[in-house]
Amino acid sequence: MSEPARRTVTVTRDLQVTPEEIWEVVSDTSRYADWVDGCLAVTRHHGTAAVGETYAERNRTVGPVTTNSEWTVLEVVPLRKRVDSGTGFDPLHDMVNTFTFEPLDIGGTRMTYAVDVRIGLGPLGLLGPLVAAVLGKTLRAEFTTSMRQLEELIVSERTIADRTEVQ
Amino acid sequence: MVNQTDVVIVGAGLAGLTAARDLHRAGVRVHILEARDRVGGRTLNHDLGDGQVVEAGGQFVGPTQNHVLKLAADLGVPLYPAYDEGKAVYVRGSKGRRFGGDIPPDYLSLPDIAVTMLRLNAASQAIPVDAPWEAKDAAALDAITFETWIRRTTVGRGGLELLNVLLASAFGATAADVSALFGLWYVAGAGDESHPGAVERMIGVADGAQESRLEGGSQRLSQLLADELTEHLALGAAVRRIRQDARSVTVTSDAGTWKAKQVIVAVPPPLAARIDFQPLLPAQQDALFQRMPFGTLMKCEAVYDQPFWRTEGLSGQGVFRGSSSPLCSMFDNTPSGPAGDGPGVLMGFLGGAEWRAWSHRPARERQGAVLRSFAKVVGDRALHPADYFEQDWTAEEWTRGGPTSILAPGVLTNLGRWRDVPFGKVHWAGAEHAHYWNGYMDGAISSGHTTAATVLEEI
Repeated sequence: MSEPARRTVTVTRDLQVTPEEIWEVVSDTSRYADWVDGCLAVTRHHGTAAVGETYAERNRTVGPVTTNSEWTVLEVVPLRKRVDSGTGFDPLHDMVNTFTFEPLDIGGTRMTYAVDVRIGLGPLGLLGPLVAAVLGKTLRAEFTTSMRQLEELIVSERTIADRTEVQ
Repeated sequence: MVNQTDVVIVGAGLAGLTAARDLHRAGVRVHILEARDRVGGRTLNHDLGDGQVVEAGGQFVGPTQNHVLKLAADLGVPLYPAYDEGKAVYVRGSKGRRFGGDIPPDYLSLPDIAVTMLRLNAASQAIPVDAPWEAKDAAALDAITFETWIRRTTVGRGGLELLNVLLASAFGATAADVSALFGLWYVAGAGDESHPGAVERMIGVADGAQESRLEGGSQRLSQLLADELTEHLALGAAVRRIRQDARSVTVTSDAGTWKAKQVIVAVPPPLAARIDFQPLLPAQQDALFQRMPFGTLMKCEAVYDQPFWRTEGLSGQGVFRGSSSPLCSMFDNTPSGPAGDGPGVLMGFLGGAEWRAWSHRPARERQGAVLRSFAKVVGDRALHPADYFEQDWTAEEWTRGGPTSILAPGVLTNLGRWRDVPFGKVHWAGAEHAHYWNGYMDGAISSGHTTAATVLEEI
């Protein structure tokens, strides 16, 4: 019997917002539905992300189908990195979500959005390859959309005074 | 010291000022007591600088709103067309689609929309605007919600959700919040004695209730009326008690006490019910006024250097279905003036269910969500306004909601006939005391005329 497949999907994007601005939003566990593509609602949260604490979401899966997920914060490096583990995405298991941030010399922030998962094989061992085939493309699209939405959210929430400073 | 006059008017919105002006012109001594430090009630101009204003409250006028059109003409306030050139955008989920006309291009929902509009117009014509409780089937219609009535003939949720787009701004509520009889009566009132009410007139810009705006902002009507009555107007004069006996009525306010022959209370019914009446209001009338709560509505407006969307073939109008946005609809709210000569303004209505979801969130998050909604309609330049402001009418002590009263099942048939009944020497006026265009500026003005005429007969 073959080993369950593991898959890592990574997308990097340069955002025209500061690491501080990003960190303020990303650290808030109540706000994922505002920018993470596929997160329909945060159903339980603990405010500012803290290692060992959990939060829960309702997520879109396929079409109108939704799932309930639970996340545990594994690592917090202010302004640089967040790592969380998630459950509730069968047949995806042992999901680890990592955000990393790097200030750019020209201004802005390089953000990397990565997920590492183990893909369950399913009945007769057929499900794994099928899921793996579509997983990369789907997640890359979702991560790209999420980071675009994060950038848009930060820009749109700048106060008029903030905007003057940025200019 | 007790001041003396013939008629005290409580409230210096359009209804109170109209009534005061009619009586004053008829030679009656009047005194107006206004709780706020301004006149205009639910009309409010927001200063943009350089002598320009934009409306933060009621603002649109249209055909069959004869009373407000006549008042504007009398006061020399010109109208100008609400901007309606170019395409509107229908937003569902994350996608926007341009369209022309008033009906969004939601093809799967079109049959439901068409059937719903036909039913609304047909059923509303059977509702007497002056006595909806006498309509055939009034009891049955008042026993169910507007949503239940609509869902009887719709297949999907499109027709209902798009009607809720209208109701979120017209009622500050959803179809589930009001009775079917109330909803149909409201449509019946979107006309005049010669033109039966029609839902198209409620939702439309061209030939509809959003057709025109008032030069200098809608509050200017009240300001000009107040200019004629300056000596008879007290601001900061919240009325706390109204006591009447066989000979006179005494009104106690924060700015003194007045004894009069008659009183006109021209404030929203739920606020009228908070006044300390001695003797008590008839229980039925008190119960009715308490059951006429306002909807929940906020206007959100962003100011840009130019109305940039116009050069891109967009009207600035947007319709948002479902929970794709905090907003239900948006408009180009740019003040009048030569194109390209001043700021551009986008205005969105945030009402009903979305108000409940968004009003308690931090202002910064709400602003962001509103600007992103604007961006779905006119592009990413909407994310970069020069200014942004909100007017939450629920936070106004002397309004406590907006734009108007909404009646739940059972209220109209059981208590509705008490709406305009004078209580001894106390009479009622206001946008909620009108048969046609109830809740609108036109309804406020017509009720002011009607009540003033009644009082003139009494004294």
